[in-house]
Amino acid sequence: MTTWTRGRSRRRRALFVSSPIGLGHAQRDVAIARELRELVPDLEIDWLAQHPVTRVLEEEGERVHPMSAELANESGHIESESAEHDLHCFQAWRRMDEILLANFMVFHDVAREENYDLWIGDEAWELDYYLHENPEEKRAAYVWLTDFVGWLPMPDGGEREAFLTADYNAEMIEHIARYPRVRDRAIYVGNADDVVADAFGPELPLIRDWTEEHFDFAGYVSGFDPAAFADREKLRAELGYRPGERVCIVTVGGSGVGGHLLRRVVDAFPEAKELVPELRMIVVAGPRIDPAAFPEADGLEVRAYVHNLYRHLAACDLAVVQGGLTTAMELTANRRPFLYFPLRHHFEQSFHVRHRLERYGAGRAMDFETATPAVIAQAIAEEIGREVDYKSVETDGAAKAAARIAELL
Amino acid sequence: MSLLEAQREQTRARYPDEEGYVERDGVRVFYEVYGHGEPTVFLLPTWSIIHSRHWKMQIPYLARHFRVLTFDGRGNGKADRPSGIAAYTEHEFAEDSLAVMDATATESAILVGLSCGALWGTLLAANHPDRVQGAVLIGPAVPLAPGHPERNVHPFDERLDTDEGWAKYNRHYWLEHYEEFLEYFFGRMFSEPHSTKQIEDCVAWGLETDPTTLADSQDALELCGLESFEATCARVRCPVLVLHGDEDAIRPHAQGAALAEVTGGTLVTLEGSGHCPHARDPVKVNLLIRDFVESLERRTP
Repeated sequence: MTTWTRGRSRRRRALFVSSPIGLGHAQRDVAIARELRELVPDLEIDWLAQHPVTRVLEEEGERVHPMSAELANESGHIESESAEHDLHCFQAWRRMDEILLANFMVFHDVAREENYDLWIGDEAWELDYYLHENPEEKRAAYVWLTDFVGWLPMPDGGEREAFLTADYNAEMIEHIARYPRVRDRAIYVGNADDVVADAFGPELPLIRDWTEEHFDFAGYVSGFDPAAFADREKLRAELGYRPGERVCIVTVGGSGVGGHLLRRVVDAFPEAKELVPELRMIVVAGPRIDPAAFPEADGLEVRAYVHNLYRHLAACDLAVVQGGLTTAMELTANRRPFLYFPLRHHFEQSFHVRHRLERYGAGRAMDFETATPAVIAQAIAEEIGREVDYKSVETDGAAKAAARIAELL
Repeated sequence: MSLLEAQREQTRARYPDEEGYVERDGVRVFYEVYGHGEPTVFLLPTWSIIHSRHWKMQIPYLARHFRVLTFDGRGNGKADRPSGIAAYTEHEFAEDSLAVMDATATESAILVGLSCGALWGTLLAANHPDRVQGAVLIGPAVPLAPGHPERNVHPFDERLDTDEGWAKYNRHYWLEHYEEFLEYFFGRMFSEPHSTKQIEDCVAWGLETDPTTLADSQDALELCGLESFEATCARVRCPVLVLHGDEDAIRPHAQGAALAEVTGGTLVTLEGSGHCPHARDPVKVNLLIRDFVESLERRTP
């Protein structure tokens, strides 16, 4: 038995495909969905997503489409491609082609069986690529969201990597030129100045020029309102910070990739403590790293898990993090000083995120290669508690993105 | 990328539910089964230059809808590499396929074959009609129409004074410049722009075997044309779907068109496609295979 529903009898429905690579997508996508429902109150949103995005969605009471269980694991693959503070994310992504195609086919089955008015893909690479390769499969309005444009080669990748990144960029440019109808909206999460000035490759356009022609700019989309943390003294008291102590939060995300950085920072603790006697260092080891593997010291706490980490990041005197966009921008929005260590061979963290943070005047970029414990201790002493003069981060990004999307409904 | 990384298999979207070896006359081949139920889609090996991972874009999708069986044919992957031409004849590949079906309790299946695998699939369909419900034949390497003339200029066995173009398809060149040959060959295989990943994959799979084994299997391919192939095709009774790129630089489109005609099959021409549309345009090929399999299910109540 089957049912067919007349066009005018159908509810408005959207399918949100949220990339599981990095947790940031989940937060901002939930914020956009919330704003979208404000504008289109009868809209039903389903999510095609996997761990760790689903964890956030479940907490928020969002509806995860049951076919999500069929998706092949992307974050596990990315982790398997990582080494000591090292993730060659362009090659790791290329080596995910089988998983991406498998996941596109899951999406395709869902889209074939169910009527959605709108598909939204936040860095859902498989969706964007295969819709351009198979434009006849597009049967709903489609929105593409991203926070970076352009694959960039790492210097030690030589000519081959420069050729490959340019080839992928060229294919993307050709896709958009040939089928401008595929992306009904392309929304850049950020501002035009956040886009790097590089070219896509030899004889290819400049990334910023091309992006300005082909994208709308929502401004940054964060999943929270920094005004909620305006009373920092109250927040510090709630989190158990003692008066006079200077709190440094060290966090490297949930994967095992960050273990080496954690160890390096813990090794810097004794010297940092000498330079900053009020120092209290809270190290978030995450589920994959055993806190017992670290030495004990007065003023040093290593915890497997910290509840409401984002509140600590809003209240601390200094944070030490990797180079991922979401955490760095959270710290920027909360005007906290921080040291960030881009993962080696990670072009997005090394170029795109770094460019954006430099524009905000936020954070101090550190090089894992050269940052000995002494260098880190010195940087901690210089940065901790510093008054910052970051450019302020807009708080209406989710609403702006939602407004552009709602035009399609 | 370091050599070590290149050799490490990338994460799969799906891993087999069952796997094992089948041995015939001392030669082992390695099979994998994905999913359960009926019908079985049997993804055949092709020329030993690559192994069953070339179906990586098909397996996860098809296994969500059907039972999928595949195996590494002799000469590459986890299969043995017997020496001598006789070990690589079409007869051996057909018998290996039947042995894998027996070992996995697969009474009958829909065969999917690429290039030489399409030729072996045709032979299986003709000679074992009770075991073959249908056949999808992609870029078939069949002697029903002339090959590309540029591939017939240079002899395979003689040492040449050039290595330009298809002159690289030469035993001596393989023995001395195997990787360069692979890069050339797969560059021709994927004539579509922006196929770097597909080419890298195939070169890496090609490096899992060696030029001597490959030369044996190449010599055995020459034997394929000896039998009256048209008469064989005429015995094919099952539904056939032929997919062939019109820019296939390895096997001319005319060969696929002729195969569709003599088997009474359906030809789908893939305009702009090269020799491996299942790897370069996996969405379309997956959907064509699924539709074909489901059309067979509708036919048999």
